[in-house]
Amino acid sequence: MSHFVIDELRVEVAGKEVLRGLSLEMSSGEVHVIMGPNGSGKSTLAHALAGHPGYRVTGGRATIDGVDLLTLAPAERVSAGLFLALQHPLDVPGVRLVDALAAAGELGEVRERMSEEAARVGLRDELLDRFMNVDLSGGERKRAEMVQFGVLRPRFAILDEIDSGLDVDALGAVARRLAQATAEWSCGVLAITHFRRLLQEMTPDVIHVVSSGRVVASGGPELAEKLEAEGYEPFSALES
Amino acid sequence: MTFLDQARIVVRDAQQAPRTLALEAFEALGLPTTSDEVWRYAPLRELDLDTFSLAQGLAPSSSSVAQGLSTRAALLIRVHNGELIEVRGEAPGVSVRQRPVETDERFAQDAFSQLAFALSPGVVEITVEPGTVLEEPVVVESTVSRGASFPLTSLVVGARSSLSVVEHLSGESGAFVVPVSHYAVAESSNLRLGTYQYLPFDGWHIARSLATLERDSHLAQAVISLGAGYNRSRNDADLVAPGARNELRTTYLGRDAQVHDYRTRQYHRAPRTSSVLLSKGAVAGESRSIYTGLIEIEKGAKKTDARQTNHNLLLSPHAHADSVPNLDIRENDVVCAHASSVGPLDELQRWYLESRGVPRRDAERLMIQGFLYEMVAALPDSVSGVIESALATELSAVVGA
Repeated sequence: MSHFVIDELRVEVAGKEVLRGLSLEMSSGEVHVIMGPNGSGKSTLAHALAGHPGYRVTGGRATIDGVDLLTLAPAERVSAGLFLALQHPLDVPGVRLVDALAAAGELGEVRERMSEEAARVGLRDELLDRFMNVDLSGGERKRAEMVQFGVLRPRFAILDEIDSGLDVDALGAVARRLAQATAEWSCGVLAITHFRRLLQEMTPDVIHVVSSGRVVASGGPELAEKLEAEGYEPFSALES
Repeated sequence: MTFLDQARIVVRDAQQAPRTLALEAFEALGLPTTSDEVWRYAPLRELDLDTFSLAQGLAPSSSSVAQGLSTRAALLIRVHNGELIEVRGEAPGVSVRQRPVETDERFAQDAFSQLAFALSPGVVEITVEPGTVLEEPVVVESTVSRGASFPLTSLVVGARSSLSVVEHLSGESGAFVVPVSHYAVAESSNLRLGTYQYLPFDGWHIARSLATLERDSHLAQAVISLGAGYNRSRNDADLVAPGARNELRTTYLGRDAQVHDYRTRQYHRAPRTSSVLLSKGAVAGESRSIYTGLIEIEKGAKKTDARQTNHNLLLSPHAHADSVPNLDIRENDVVCAHASSVGPLDELQRWYLESRGVPRRDAERLMIQGFLYEMVAALPDSVSGVIESALATELSAVVGA
């Protein structure tokens, strides 16, 4: 059983504090969902945890089983068990997806495993040998992120609005793959979204509402229904 | 004894008028200086000819890259210190010989070419009969010993022929090498040419090539340089008849204090000619690169289409790249474009790879390989794999540094 702990995390973007002491905890096999209005800091959390160069951590800790992620290089965070699936996966012209994953560590028969994962999420196999995300549709990009996820088998995966811009089929494929992962290797899933669509495909254990850079409420699936009915307004009032 | 003293003795003993004339021309021209535009930025002040003797010695055994190339060859031509030493294999329609140097007005203003004409053992002449079509490449394995050497090449491709020629240059440390090559591509012929230079890093490589393209001919030329301390590569094309097409790709990878110096001139003298030039290189350590390219279009060369692009990747804060594209156009009815860029690796792309678990060093290696990918992909199939793996090995050293 692994534990992922974010403790009083503070992050600046371009000199402005966006995360203001965000905390949450989760364990292997759990599905947590972070919801919140635009600008509340959801994507900042994801990018800061993955070591994006545009985000500066100014305080707090984030650990997987006691290992402090924030002092590690981005690739070392992956070794420590973290994986981020992006809302907008980047084009990397000239670098083939298969070569990138082959360089990502001792992953065995990478190409074969990629094929298996691609079949599971309905990604055309030939795209694995193409340059990363170049000329791929939005749906193909998200499916390609799921192939990386499946090959890397992280202990905890953060999904940054992976449901946005996806058609129903792609969303279903992504959500099914994630749900299987929670069973297959007890992967913990932290899904950032401001839609309920993903929640209809996956059953969350805990929902966190983020507002102004902090978690202002946590609860069961009923919290999503409350949000649906009342919006974020009542939660904003909870800010201290 | 100065280098010039040695040269005078060699030329006197040879008793060949073209050599005598060439040495006189060299002495009259003198070594160029950086005030000459085509030598701007070049570290000529560090060149002291008197530190070199004329190269002599036996040919070394083939490098692994040369071996890899030669196993794919229809014909292997071995040249050492400019001297033809072996022709292995058989390619119908292709003949090879070494002939005496002749005076060539086209290089009259170039001091280094004149020095080469004076001192080379002769011209390695490769003649391709009209109508010759070869699937496998002709490979020229050229090696040099310590000291000064002057390999001269003349490739004469007859009409309606199609073939690939790959040149590989390597050698001992302490080399000063001045290759001068002329490629004549006759009507409706298709020549794919690859030149790969990997001299030790203390060497001087001052190369010049000129291609003459006849009606409806096509030359796809790729020049890849990884070696030498100072690597100069001037590659010109004269498109003398309608329908001639020229593609030129130059690729370099600089490390330590290397200087890569590329000069090009695409000279459009006839209507409906086209040229596409793509120059891409990466500079690491304290290395630097120079690219100056000229597209020249004569009055009357209507419907000419000429493009040049130069992209430079800066891999260290101490590396530097100069990029100077030039146009000289004397005809209105043409399409002309140029673009250049100088910059570091994309930080976000690198982070994206790292966030997939790729360590930074490997991410950078993959990205540089990706940057150079299209250059390697354009090489003839039979040799691109060999060059690609040589480049990958070199990249590991550069990124690991």
